Amino acid sequence: MNKKLVFRMLGTILVIEAICMLPAFIIGWAHGDERRDVLALLLSALICLVVGLPMHLLEKPQTSNLRAKEGFMIVTLSWMVMSLFGALPFMLSGFIPNFFDAFFESVSGFTTTGATVLTADQFEGVMPFGIGFWRAFTHWIGGMGVLVLSLALLPKLTGRSAHLVRAESPGPSLSKIAPKMTDSSKILYIVYSALTLMEFISLMLCGLSPYDAALHAVSNAGTGGFSNHAASIAYYDSPAVEIVITVFMTLFSINLALYYSIVTGRWRDFTKSEELKWFLCMFGGSALLIACIIAAPAHGGNFGDALRHSFFNVATTMSTTGFTIDAYTTDLWPIAARAIILCLMFCGACVGSTAGGMKTMRIALLLKQSKREIGRTFNPRRVQRVRFEGRGIDETMLHQVAVFAFVYVLLVLLGGLLISFEGKFDLIDNFTASLTCVSNIGPCFGAGASGFSEFGSFSKAVMSILMLAGRLELFPILAFFHRDAWRKI
Amino acid sequence: MRILIVGAGKVGKTLAENLTNEAHDVVIIDNDEDVLHRCEDLYDVMVVEGNGANAQTLIDAGAAHADILIAATAGDEINMLCCLIGKRLGAKYCIARIRDPKYNESLTLLQHELGIDLAVNPERATALEINKLLRFPFASNIESFAKGLIEMVEFRAQPKDPVTGCMLRDVPTRLPGLPRVLFAAVERGGQVSIPTGDFTIQAGDRVYVAGDQIAITNFFRYMGRDTHPVKNVMILGGGRISYYLARMITPLGMHVTMIEIDPDKATLLSEDLPHVNVLLGDGTNQELLEQEGLQNMDAFITLCNRDEENLMTGLYASTQGVPKVIVKNNRVNYADVINRMGLDTIISPRQITGAYILRYVRARIGGHGTKVEKLYRLIDGKAEALEFIAREGEKYIGVPLKDLKMRENTLVAVIARRGKVIVPFGNDHIESGDSVIIITCEAGLGDLNEVIRT
Repeated sequence: MNKKLVFRMLGTILVIEAICMLPAFIIGWAHGDERRDVLALLLSALICLVVGLPMHLLEKPQTSNLRAKEGFMIVTLSWMVMSLFGALPFMLSGFIPNFFDAFFESVSGFTTTGATVLTADQFEGVMPFGIGFWRAFTHWIGGMGVLVLSLALLPKLTGRSAHLVRAESPGPSLSKIAPKMTDSSKILYIVYSALTLMEFISLMLCGLSPYDAALHAVSNAGTGGFSNHAASIAYYDSPAVEIVITVFMTLFSINLALYYSIVTGRWRDFTKSEELKWFLCMFGGSALLIACIIAAPAHGGNFGDALRHSFFNVATTMSTTGFTIDAYTTDLWPIAARAIILCLMFCGACVGSTAGGMKTMRIALLLKQSKREIGRTFNPRRVQRVRFEGRGIDETMLHQVAVFAFVYVLLVLLGGLLISFEGKFDLIDNFTASLTCVSNIGPCFGAGASGFSEFGSFSKAVMSILMLAGRLELFPILAFFHRDAWRKI
Repeated sequence: MRILIVGAGKVGKTLAENLTNEAHDVVIIDNDEDVLHRCEDLYDVMVVEGNGANAQTLIDAGAAHADILIAATAGDEINMLCCLIGKRLGAKYCIARIRDPKYNESLTLLQHELGIDLAVNPERATALEINKLLRFPFASNIESFAKGLIEMVEFRAQPKDPVTGCMLRDVPTRLPGLPRVLFAAVERGGQVSIPTGDFTIQAGDRVYVAGDQIAITNFFRYMGRDTHPVKNVMILGGGRISYYLARMITPLGMHVTMIEIDPDKATLLSEDLPHVNVLLGDGTNQELLEQEGLQNMDAFITLCNRDEENLMTGLYASTQGVPKVIVKNNRVNYADVINRMGLDTIISPRQITGAYILRYVRARIGGHGTKVEKLYRLIDGKAEALEFIAREGEKYIGVPLKDLKMRENTLVAVIARRGKVIVPFGNDHIESGDSVIIITCEAGLGDLNEVIRT
């Protein structure tokens, strides 16, 4: 393995992370945070720089060509390193002193999960502005991927960047929107930033303070879910804010490349997208169903309120954001509505968005494949190709998708099992906690509904790995534990 | 520039590699998904699956705003159709690979209608290259510039050569009779350098010298190399390259013996090439080669389909004392190994075709400075020789070369002015209208202003 290249890339990632800490530092400084909190951010940025810059400058690899193995190792290691260094501000400021807690919070940020170890009394008036913004900003960085960002910023970084992007961006296949990877990354980041800005302005118009608007915009853009209020969006108690957030959660669930095709005048790509249709059908269908179920018991028959709440909750689950307005996990909701939400927790949103989960495309492919296999029982000789987005899908890809789905479920079960060993909570609590981590959603049923602070350190470590695995779509993290990853070749 | 490559075969991939290195936007169209996946991994390109002769596929790939479309699929007809459709969709320039001699004849009629701006025939281009080598057998590689005024010739330095072990600065004093040529580039142990005055040539180096034809011929005569023309040629394999080559060199008075293993093909060849001695047999058989007089041949050319057969037979011929052995090898990654074995004239059709198309692409690069007229890739593409025509009004005109700041690893090799060849020294300068030949280790230079910074 080309170790020098891996080190060099890790150095680059750290330098970028250092730069990303600066907005939080400035915001903290401008809002007059405590001295220690401001210095913690500055010091963390300096540490990243001191460690990263020599690695970036001194390691001169003989060849910058990446092989598949190096690509995957770089992606896995950089996400681990990034999360590790991202935990520094929490620990140095003393806001989250425990290492496991701080690491969990940082991983939860970068993987856009949004599960927090903070307790309700750590929010209002206690959370420093800078640290709070950094927490949300990790969502923004992690949403599109830091390696994609590094490719957008440093075009000549490496050859054969396809391996990097393939491992980092969600979806079963790599799709470029411009011939050059750098241009492709740039376009995606521009679309991403533009949408974030739009949300920022919309939230400002709803009467939020600039700090709150910016924080929720970056948090929503990465489909993360960290908020600076313990009650999340419910704090504002404003239908307008809820609707804006719902709309943007939905927008960020859609493949960002599709927005680019709208901008370039190719409306057809947008309207003909099969995945988008599947997503919208699933989204609309479950939201309407839930609205019907909850209208009577939770909203006293007010269908408009029920609709708003059901759309918000379906959006927050499918986009894997994890903002909350009412605890759907409590007994207020009928069990049927909660069951629908539980099912949606597996799905996630579209390929090429910032959302987590299994992705609509995979779900659609699995359904089509299942239909084909069922049809084959009567007609064993029938040859039938699965089609998606108007073209035939390769059997290898179907195979990969099926294995992915199996491993996904396996990981959720395994995670739930490991968490259960601590023996603190109920079955449903443990398994949904595991699921919410793998799917990068945030809230879960039962104990974790308001936060993960009560889970033990072991569970937090397990969940940190689950979140990373979920964000990188399982295989990069699992391959990291494969013995071939540590062979010298 | 946005460049569409249809067909990710050998030539398509070579082009993709070179063009992405030069930071062009490249889109590859092919109907084999596996090949596309591999391309996507190796090169920074966008891939589109589909038939390149299908209008929708070309639209998806963005043919409408493509600057150049290169059709390099296996089928000539598909390539023509690609160009026809591509041109209609708005591609600015279309290049097609057309290898069937029959089509080549009708192409003069149809080229415009089909929208083909450049038709490339890899086999014919390769044959032309071999033809050139046979005319200068002392060289392992020849490139001509400035309409043939300047030749750049590659040779391998031998221990007994007078220039070996001599510092280049001392060459004029120590070897007074040596014709004045320029030492343009040297490859040693896989590393290419552009020699300066304190460079010493060692035995085994691959050296490029440049100068006018007479100076070059005299140079090799002085070095004691055989400059007699080739009379007897043996060609192994009766494929298209062999066919073109035989047609080119028999009129020059060379006697060709061609060995082909397939009876039908051999019969056809004997019909088409009445002056060639076509033999039916296995050319890798040493006994057969000896009986057909391998030892008396001036040149031996292996053009079989399998690289390994070509290499082994070529090696055998060179041990038998054939002075000029030319080996076809399509897998470029072998080049280093083969060179170490002592075979120095290796021909790779995909590289020749790639370089040919690349030369055309470079000349189409937008911009208003001094554009590349010709481009030659030296030493397996590790260095390039570029020809520019100096234009009126540019900053470098009239400035003595020693006052010009040159890019690193770059050298003004030769200047051709009104039919005269100048091997320039520090006091010489460039005039407008001059053909300037630059040697560089950097790829992707497209403008003389990038090379020279005043």
